Amino acid sequence: MSAPLPAREGNERELTAYEREALELERTWRDPPGLWGWVTTVDSKRIAIRYIVTCMVFFSLGGVNALIMRTQLWRPENGVVGPDQYNQLFTVHGTNMMFLFAVPIMLAVGLYFVPLMVGARNVAFPRLNALGYWVFLWGGLLLWVSQLLDMGPDAGWFAYVPLAGPEFSPGKRVDTWAQMITFTEIAGLIAAINIIVTTFKLRAPGMTVSRIPVFVWAMVVTAFMVIFALSTIATASQMLAMDRLVGTHFFNVAEGGDPILWQHLFWWFGHPEVYIVFIPATGMISATLPAFVRRPVFGYTALVLSTIATGFLGFGVWVHHMFVTGVLQLASSFFTASSVMITIPTAIQIFCWIATIWMGRPWFATPMLYILGFFVTFIIGGVTGVMVASVPFDMQVHDTHFVVAHLHYVLIGGGVMPLIGAFYYWFPKWTGRMYNEALGRLQFALFFIGVNVTFFPLHILGLNGMPRRIYTYPEGLGWTGPNQVATVGAYILAVSVVLLVVNVVTSARAGLPAGNDPWAADSLEWATTSPPRPYGFVRPPVVQGRSALWSRTPDAPEIVGLPTDRRMNLVTTAMDAEPDNLHEEPGPTVWPLIASIAVAVLFIWLMYHPSAVIGGGFLVMLALLGWGWPRGRQNVRHDGAVDPLEVA
Amino acid sequence: MRGDERRIGPDALPQTPAERERLRIDVSLLPEAVFGHRGVTWWATTGFMLIEGTTVVLMLASYLYLRLSSAEWPPRPGSDPNLLWPTVNLLVILGKCVPFYLASKSAKRLDPAGVRTWMTVGTALGFVALGIRALEFESLNVHWNENAYGSAVWGIMVAHTILMVSDVLESAVIAAIFLLHKEEPKHFPDVEDDAMYEYFLAAVWVVLFAFVFLSPRAF
Repeated sequence: MSAPLPAREGNERELTAYEREALELERTWRDPPGLWGWVTTVDSKRIAIRYIVTCMVFFSLGGVNALIMRTQLWRPENGVVGPDQYNQLFTVHGTNMMFLFAVPIMLAVGLYFVPLMVGARNVAFPRLNALGYWVFLWGGLLLWVSQLLDMGPDAGWFAYVPLAGPEFSPGKRVDTWAQMITFTEIAGLIAAINIIVTTFKLRAPGMTVSRIPVFVWAMVVTAFMVIFALSTIATASQMLAMDRLVGTHFFNVAEGGDPILWQHLFWWFGHPEVYIVFIPATGMISATLPAFVRRPVFGYTALVLSTIATGFLGFGVWVHHMFVTGVLQLASSFFTASSVMITIPTAIQIFCWIATIWMGRPWFATPMLYILGFFVTFIIGGVTGVMVASVPFDMQVHDTHFVVAHLHYVLIGGGVMPLIGAFYYWFPKWTGRMYNEALGRLQFALFFIGVNVTFFPLHILGLNGMPRRIYTYPEGLGWTGPNQVATVGAYILAVSVVLLVVNVVTSARAGLPAGNDPWAADSLEWATTSPPRPYGFVRPPVVQGRSALWSRTPDAPEIVGLPTDRRMNLVTTAMDAEPDNLHEEPGPTVWPLIASIAVAVLFIWLMYHPSAVIGGGFLVMLALLGWGWPRGRQNVRHDGAVDPLEVA
Repeated sequence: MRGDERRIGPDALPQTPAERERLRIDVSLLPEAVFGHRGVTWWATTGFMLIEGTTVVLMLASYLYLRLSSAEWPPRPGSDPNLLWPTVNLLVILGKCVPFYLASKSAKRLDPAGVRTWMTVGTALGFVALGIRALEFESLNVHWNENAYGSAVWGIMVAHTILMVSDVLESAVIAAIFLLHKEEPKHFPDVEDDAMYEYFLAAVWVVLFAFVFLSPRAF
């Protein structure tokens, strides 16, 4: 359905109040036309789509890096790229896939759907949201432009010191990595705050804590993990940058520093990062399943508690990345136990989904196929995860292709497959059109085959002793065959991703019209138009059960009186979601863009000279001043309905 | 009152029998500027305190990690930090919570004059604390590039100083808004949130002060 009908000339019928509200909302919430509207928009849906498209572009670029690497490893002593370029390729690939694709795209999907699923008009802090996107974009460009200029980071995606320190990595390559981290972490933290506050304070009346959709729960848990994990890596990357720029000794063993400190800080962030990718994906599965098995997801409470438990336990396993650094045996045992323990909540979730499918009437459309693909792929990755959680085994395969196989099974199985499934599921909501189902199934088949053909042989290569991060290998080690199979798989994957893009582009232009709710699904986003208008809902919905749409009765209470002449959100109480106050949101503004440019100047300047703290800091301060300075009086009501300014 | 204008007119009466049965909840008279956890800005402030608290805890954890693997702390004998200016500043930092508390009280009474006075006093004390902070860096008796101890204590101090600078600037902007009579109702809860952030910074500093300045002498 498109926008509500405008009043046409000759249309004699008097508009109803509902239609008048809708028309006024259109006026209040629309962006300026053209490019100016594009740069000034604060509409969370528009920004989220932009985020998702940007992440997919970065994903494709990272895929190109992977293809070049796989081509290089096709045969022994191959000369497609040299060792220096290869170092850049795998460093930028890993950094990009984690920081510029996996985490931000999950948060972006959350930024799109959390407000819609809780019945809000927009996120709680729309300008911050815009700032987050711009800062993310500059950080991503910094990484890719540096690789194009042959000065990409080359010390691995976890930038271990002393290799990444000033002595062994002179030049600016590692500084690019460190500042790119800071950019993307700021963006992630902003997204996290927005998701948390939107969920806690902007839920539709009736959506009590026990009725929050599982996907939204997953995003909230993720957001809290982002707060604790991403602020860690932002701090640690600054410590590394300072070691390199002003000669601090945090990681310099000669002056009392400790390289292992870096590993602790990195993996305190790095392991939760896996769950920051995985937990939203579990939410997507829980969001997608009901529509394709025609029943609510089984075990809501168990699913939510498992998600929260995973969030906590995710911070208790980081040392399992460091078994070969000589940690105490007691610590090794503890972290082995915790690493095995975290499989319990994950298993509970998987059993809940299996029960959901078992008790429902499954319909094997493309999103459902991706969920099944997730089960197979992620469980293989999970099993190898249990293997490497065991210290003696880990000692043998550490830094080999076995770990590369494991992490790709986990991240592609546990993250990318549910994500692509969710893309198909939500495609009609985003575009108002249906995707091509036949092409979708073919794309899934190629993706599933491609993943397994690419990554399964890497297990064998790892067990046969092939290390990670080597740009070539000699003949006669028995590594050629599995490498060639893996390379073929990589090209199958690439074809599959191209088909996904073709499906998205052609269906968005010429797919069958989808209507508002083509799946007859259960959550609130399907109660809006497809694509949703900037204000989301004409009147805030009222929620009567966990499956918001399936439990709705014709006599559901209706919220009226929410001002439509200003960008107003209804704020509800955190636990019971009772209407409590009104919060006016700002309109389109260019200040987030300006502030993001000031932030970019600060961070890039800081790669070269510490004076950036003063100079760049001053620019950021000016930008924030311009952002925050009040622009006009609003005679709005206060607590107790007294307007102090009118009284004065 | 504006709210009356926004009431739904007679043509909004329920149209169909099913609609006629529906309960209508009119939210048009709900307040638009509220204090504490009722408002969304309080949640953002709390969220940012969580982020910054994590940062500080990490700096402290790094400090302790480096300390545990070091035989002498500080490594250079006789380079214990001086206590005079740090102690003075601790008192200033704790003391400036009082004007912010009073500003917050005034804000809750919707009393712009009180906010004006106490925000100005608090902000001025904030600038004083920043000035003394420069002397505190001197009192450390070590440079950041001398050894890991120097890096750790400078790291902690710089992290807290960045928070102090951003806090003073925020307070200054809020004070300026009130001094220039540009305030809008939403700025009153902002005063309360700013005060909350002051208490947070002061509490954090008590812990950091104990580690940076007292612990090298005590242990």
